[in-house]
Amino acid sequence: MRTFLFKRLPSGLAVLLAASFTVFLMLRLIPGDPATTLAGPDASPATVAAIRERLGLDAPLLSQYLHWLGQVLTGDLGPSYAIGGQVSELIGDGLAATFQLTLAALLLVVLLAVPTALYAVSARRRALAGALRALTTGALAVPPFVTGVLLVLAFAVGLGLLPAGGHASLFDAPDLAVQYLALPALCLALPSAAILARYLQDGLERALGEDYVRTATALGVPRRRILWRHALPNALPSAVTVLGLQIGQLIAGAVVVERIFAWPGLGQLIEQGVSRRDYPVVQDLLLLVVAGYVAVQLLTDLLYSWLDPRVRWE
Amino acid sequence: MTELIDRPPLADQPPSPTAELLRVRELGVAFGERVAVRGVDFALGAGESLGIVGESGSGKSTTALALLRMLPPGGRITGGAVELDGQDLAALPEEALRAVRGQRIAMVFQDPMSSLNPVLSVGRQLDEALRAHGGRRPRAERAARAAELLELVGVPKAADRLGDFPHQFSGGQRQRIMIALALAHDAQVLVADEPTTALDPTVQRQILRLLARINRERGTALVVISHDLGVIAETCSRLLVMRDGEVVERGATARLLTAPEHAYTRSLLAAVPRLDAPSRAAGNSTPGAEPLLVVRGLAKAYGPRRRRSPALESVDLDLHPGETLGLVGESGSGKSTLARALVGAHAPDAGSISFAGQPLDGRRARREVQMVFQDPYASLNPRLTVGRIIAEPLIAHKVGDRAQRQARVAELLEQVGLEASAAARSPREFSGGQRQRIGIARALAPEPSVLVCDEPVSALDVSIQAQVIDLLARLQRELGLAVLFIAHDLAVVRQVSHRIAVLHRGRIVESGPADRVVTSPEHPYTAELLAAVPSLSPATSGSLL
Amino acid sequence: MTTISLPPAARSRSGNRSRNRYVAGLRTWRGVTGLVLVGTVALAGLLAPWLTGADPDAQGPQALAAPSGAHPLGTDDIGRDLLSRVLHGILTDLSIILTAVPAGALTGAALALLAGTSRAADLVVQRLFDLVLSFPGLILGLAVTAILGPGRWPVVIIIALAEVPYFGRQLRAGVLVQREREYALAARVGGAGRARVLLRHVLPNAVDPLVVQGAVALSAGVFIEGALSFLGLGVRPPEPTLGSLISGSVAYLDTHPVLAAPLAVTTALVLGFTLLAEALNRGART
Repeated sequence: MRTFLFKRLPSGLAVLLAASFTVFLMLRLIPGDPATTLAGPDASPATVAAIRERLGLDAPLLSQYLHWLGQVLTGDLGPSYAIGGQVSELIGDGLAATFQLTLAALLLVVLLAVPTALYAVSARRRALAGALRALTTGALAVPPFVTGVLLVLAFAVGLGLLPAGGHASLFDAPDLAVQYLALPALCLALPSAAILARYLQDGLERALGEDYVRTATALGVPRRRILWRHALPNALPSAVTVLGLQIGQLIAGAVVVERIFAWPGLGQLIEQGVSRRDYPVVQDLLLLVVAGYVAVQLLTDLLYSWLDPRVRWE
Repeated sequence: MTELIDRPPLADQPPSPTAELLRVRELGVAFGERVAVRGVDFALGAGESLGIVGESGSGKSTTALALLRMLPPGGRITGGAVELDGQDLAALPEEALRAVRGQRIAMVFQDPMSSLNPVLSVGRQLDEALRAHGGRRPRAERAARAAELLELVGVPKAADRLGDFPHQFSGGQRQRIMIALALAHDAQVLVADEPTTALDPTVQRQILRLLARINRERGTALVVISHDLGVIAETCSRLLVMRDGEVVERGATARLLTAPEHAYTRSLLAAVPRLDAPSRAAGNSTPGAEPLLVVRGLAKAYGPRRRRSPALESVDLDLHPGETLGLVGESGSGKSTLARALVGAHAPDAGSISFAGQPLDGRRARREVQMVFQDPYASLNPRLTVGRIIAEPLIAHKVGDRAQRQARVAELLEQVGLEASAAARSPREFSGGQRQRIGIARALAPEPSVLVCDEPVSALDVSIQAQVIDLLARLQRELGLAVLFIAHDLAVVRQVSHRIAVLHRGRIVESGPADRVVTSPEHPYTAELLAAVPSLSPATSGSLL
Repeated sequence: MTTISLPPAARSRSGNRSRNRYVAGLRTWRGVTGLVLVGTVALAGLLAPWLTGADPDAQGPQALAAPSGAHPLGTDDIGRDLLSRVLHGILTDLSIILTAVPAGALTGAALALLAGTSRAADLVVQRLFDLVLSFPGLILGLAVTAILGPGRWPVVIIIALAEVPYFGRQLRAGVLVQREREYALAARVGGAGRARVLLRHVLPNAVDPLVVQGAVALSAGVFIEGALSFLGLGVRPPEPTLGSLISGSVAYLDTHPVLAAPLAVTTALVLGFTLLAEALNRGART
């Protein structure tokens, strides 16, 4: 815990700060400044200058950066350029939807991956373990935008079981919301579930080949118990790390999945922001994603050190 | 230490040594097509102790694992039987076998660090062993028993340490924990596979004592597997000598030590260095009068700035040309740090090293002081050919052109007793002893005047050990080398050294002529080290029993 | 003088046992399947000009035509020959990933070696990797696209940049392990300078895991290209890529199943790379 507070937390904050500065600088590197874009092609130089002044773009870079950080900390992010409306409100609208989607996907990842890995390792029938392995390889090899299309074709168009896209509020119509959530969450979860299952399975297999498992066998500990109580605790820490990395993939994958399933989340927003060059939206969203991801990484590290006593006691 | 017995099972009725508790008949083991063990046959009575000794590849560890049918993947029992109380373990179904393992026959493995689960507390692991057999005992009862077991094997403050993890214990304590696990159900037979191999001599002695005490007080039949005749001679009353998967000789330990019948046993015994044999260094070379290498006040600490832990406190050493100085110390004494400082691999924090009257700087060190490493596998770059490995120092010092270097490599290979054609091959193709010769050839390449040998023979079989020691002696004779011979094995050190220095916690606590240090040690630590050396004299055979 | 006779010459010529393990890995069913999949797709792409005479960008009169002699896979929604577009799409994808992945690998390796020179450099390089990694997957792509706009080179840069920390971290870890091995100390004691120890002794022993990472990175490259094109932020139209073909065909898939061809080809390619990575990984571990 001390190591965590004194070493990991500061380095996480440092990365976050560096990332915010990078994001800020990156968007200032773009040829032609936002004011020109915002004013439109026919605007007079005076209009552009006025806009520039209004947005604070004529201030020195560092003070612009600090101003932006201040905005971020107060939660008032100012107006968007192209999409319309206040950035804070745009983000607020999409956040809940994206959060629902990624959380549901995360749950699915764990629920799909952990039993698969445990079952594949303990399966007495080699053919079954092989089939599970093939299944995870398959899930790994199909890009999410392909899975999404296939899922829509199968469940929405073919079987007509679930809606092909859209969104309903979890509070107003829970049953409908779950129906809308099912396909996008599954689509988002599949590749990450495959990766987690693969890592966990490899970790378990490696642990089962270790000397301490031989010790447990020599002591007469039953096979099942060796898997659950001796091998699993050793495979878990690195699986948690992989899960942490996969949360990043879920956040990133949400961009594509939201597009396929017309899911009104932040992914759609950032995609619009990028294609319509709405810099405040892009800048703030990138920072939000990075902050979220860095926080997830820190949590993973904390969990890791809780699971592995060798790190815990350092 | 507490009494071993919580419910004295055998105090009144000592075990009858004639009863055949474990009977191994014509045991054969193969890995794929390769036969690892063939026709091993022995019987063990309750309360008896049996040692199985052999060099690497003799099949001794495979035999041990086959007793519990715990062969690594690919291995299988090809024939014979392992009868425990008349029940053939080799033919038992898996579930029935599980009920036997840990309850009636238990095993202690070689490397306690990797054999204990790193993420489970020691208490949990003992608990796992306890609940593996014998129904459901209440948790509190198991916890009490776990503490009792830990105390039994001599872990101090046992009850407080159940929540600790393996990495928080010392190497010797970890091996004690391994033994506690094996004792959980008072097994009738305890198989110990190289139980002390990675441990310091003084710790080794304690573990062997513990095993012997368990054998004596609980009547647990003991099978000890080791490459070290000394270890086995003191703990076992009977011996099996194995070579190439077969038993070549068997008998009472005392008889085997005094009157070995098989030629292999005789050669094995002859190769083991004896602590009571006087040093042979004087017959090899006569050291020069002026010291070549002078070390004064050498200190080195490791770790972060706040919590630096000293590896060397303050070391003074003199090394004369043509002299072998034996440096003895256990792990953590700082001997490897000293060796690395001498070859210029890292700078000391304080103190001076001078060579032939001048301060030894990095460049000079890299020519004049060379090193022979402990691990003949890790110390040779697997990506290079043997010729290239030996030529590397020549290239680094820009000696000669390609053809000249080639000739020099051939010359060096012959000097260490290898064919010149070895140069074109990969180090992987060579055995441990041959690799060590390659390492020596590399060290000789820049024509150094000092050779630092860091445990050069401790990874080798005894017969190979003797060959490498002979090689080093010959090289010293021919080249007039000064040798710093670092080792933990006092018998080897006495044999090769003119003088011996004893390193303890970063300080030289004693130094003097080799024979004097061994026969009349002045420092108590030296005496302790000497007492820990297993002896092969028949008078002490089974002395720990 | 006694000379110890040598063991009989080993089965293969010296030194390259690890290489052989990779070759052995490729000989398993995974490796062979992977090679066949990647090989077939790649060959089809490379032979595109000979396999089809049709111009991938030429619009024909008939949109969404069924397969026929003139158009073996039919045409897309604006009447372009689908087979030609798929084959040329493979070529675009291959050229992108085969530029981006080596570039990313080399940059990552160079940074890892730089990290090996001093403690300060190590710290800087590590934080640099952390920084890149703090933009997960496609988000990095969006960030770069936000600056550079869509196009072929941005895609190459995105893929390369995304792979830099993976190659770099892996090599750095390998260097750290290998540097502590005794042979590295031996080389140092023998007089080799720091740079020589790092480049000639440590590096060759640490690069092996990068082979596996290479196969993983190639499949990730196809993923990233596809996702960017799918979002309309990839290579500019009308140049065909696997991602843009999938993106363009989605709307008509339920009525025109033959438009699933780019989907199948992409999956085959990624599956091939994945199987190769697995085969190499297993080979390295045994």
